[in-house]
Amino acid sequence: MKTFHEIRDPIHTFIRVHSDERRVLDSRPVQRLRHIHQLAMTFLVYPGATHKRFEHSLGVMELATRIFDTITHEENVRHDRIRDLIPSKDELSYWRRVLRMAALCHDIGHLPFSHAAEDDLLPDGWDHERITAALVGSDEMRKIWRGQRPQLEIEDIVKLAVGPKKLADAEFTDWETILAEIVVGDAFGADRIDYLIRDAHHSGVAYGSFDHHRLIDTLRILPQETRESAEPALGIEEGGLHSAEALLLARYFMYTQVYFHPVRRIYDRHLKDFLHQWTDGAGLPTDTERHLKLTDHETYAAILEAADDPKKAGHEPARRITERDHFKEVYRRTRSDVEKDPEAAELIGGALERKFGPESIRCDHYRGRGGAPDFPVLMPDGQIVSSIDQSDVLKTVPPVAVDFVFCAPEKRTRVSRWLKKHRERIVSRVEREEEPSS
Amino acid sequence: MMKRFERDAVVTALIDELDERGSWCGETHIQKAMFFLQEMTETDLGFEFILYKHGPFSFDLRDELTAMRADLLLELELRKPGYGPSLRPTKNARAMVERYGETVDRARSDIQFVAAHAGDLHVTELERLGTALYVTRRKKPDEPPEIQAEEIVRLKPHISPEQARDALETIRSWQRELPSA
Repeated sequence: MKTFHEIRDPIHTFIRVHSDERRVLDSRPVQRLRHIHQLAMTFLVYPGATHKRFEHSLGVMELATRIFDTITHEENVRHDRIRDLIPSKDELSYWRRVLRMAALCHDIGHLPFSHAAEDDLLPDGWDHERITAALVGSDEMRKIWRGQRPQLEIEDIVKLAVGPKKLADAEFTDWETILAEIVVGDAFGADRIDYLIRDAHHSGVAYGSFDHHRLIDTLRILPQETRESAEPALGIEEGGLHSAEALLLARYFMYTQVYFHPVRRIYDRHLKDFLHQWTDGAGLPTDTERHLKLTDHETYAAILEAADDPKKAGHEPARRITERDHFKEVYRRTRSDVEKDPEAAELIGGALERKFGPESIRCDHYRGRGGAPDFPVLMPDGQIVSSIDQSDVLKTVPPVAVDFVFCAPEKRTRVSRWLKKHRERIVSRVEREEEPSS
Repeated sequence: MMKRFERDAVVTALIDELDERGSWCGETHIQKAMFFLQEMTETDLGFEFILYKHGPFSFDLRDELTAMRADLLLELELRKPGYGPSLRPTKNARAMVERYGETVDRARSDIQFVAAHAGDLHVTELERLGTALYVTRRKKPDEPPEIQAEEIVRLKPHISPEQARDALETIRSWQRELPSA
């Protein structure tokens, strides 16, 4: 009987899955991802961006496996301290399977339309990672983990799927920390590598492409001697440094061109407004059974229904989405404004809300997350140095920062005219009380 | 609750004070100093810490430092070939300290206390002391020092029992010196 199955994929060509793993792939939480858009409503701006979290999850599993095989290959482990870190052969095989399943399941907690709805529509203390952890530990999935050979521990899968950031009470060994970095890490996480390449491919934006094969081939677990630290970290051989630079640039371009395209952002906002009204302020469910039954399909059907009927909750934002009558950009951050005052966007958003009413104005602020791209680099002479010392590109690529202010389209001319007249005074914090006149 | 830029002003003041005491001011140094500040003094900026890289670590603080770079409040600076970067406040950050002067002044003595004790320490020492404080406050607050030392070694196996005991003693001496003690 065939034990391995091949799935065609536009990015990785073939993704192989063991029969045991196929039970996880066929489970309800993973199959639901076929109905969750990877990039929310980005398809309203980039029509090709209709891909789903399902294929991305397969891609993350594939890449995480390649990274795992590279960094644990005996020829790639040159330091005794790192050799001691890597488990014995049997244990290694267990962790490889845990890693693959964690990668496959890392997104199962996503709400309809992915991140767009997450921030304000879940109760305090909840996010998609917490729902992921709950689903991995659900009775339905527990049976599947027990049927795997070797049997997999839920706690191990959750740790690698969610990572330490979202598991404040869990203790991670150095080995588990490295494995979680492989899946969800900021620098070289398989999640990030796959979404950049896949999103670029589907949106038709070439900026996201980079040589991920070379990058993965040069990844190593390295001691952090330059930090006087005994803790190992995921780093690269010097030969992969340009690929790492390309990854960072791809990320920067994709964030500025696709993920934070202003029209995409305002559609997210209209979607969020709709969900608030549609759920009567209650937000989205955290209960796993209700979560599994709610996908983009049910949500979009509700948007279409509400858009057609002014009496339905959420009619106005739904109509704005379906009729493409979205709010229009009237302000975006400039370097000169930030140099004058880092709070410039908040000041402008606040002034416009006071002048034209909060119902006519939407503010959008985002700052890049994660640390500086500082990781160990193994030089040809065996020395380990900081990536930022070795690469001017890594040192100078700025973190992503977005500030937009949007207004209702029917007020755009008035708002723009008023803002043109008052912008300098607002940013310079001159006599705020004089704003409402003229 | 403190506004974001108000909080950035306090972070800037802490980095400046660490710098004056000879700190490298890399992210790890700032992380541990902030943990000492929040855990030992009255100044709480609301950063959540977990036991992770080199001891107590806050993903919130890491994101905040990145946001401060995005807002031209901090810059990366290389001080020694091969080594990781330091974070240096810009003139914009100093303007923020002035704008939120009252908030910074309220935290000033706490910041100075932390900088005086942790400013010139290396990452390995900061990791030991940070982990010791984490264990005495969060993991085993009511246990005797021997049990606390065992817990430190369990959590960070590269720390020896003797180093763990020394770290606990140092933390106790810092606590005795606290202005509010």
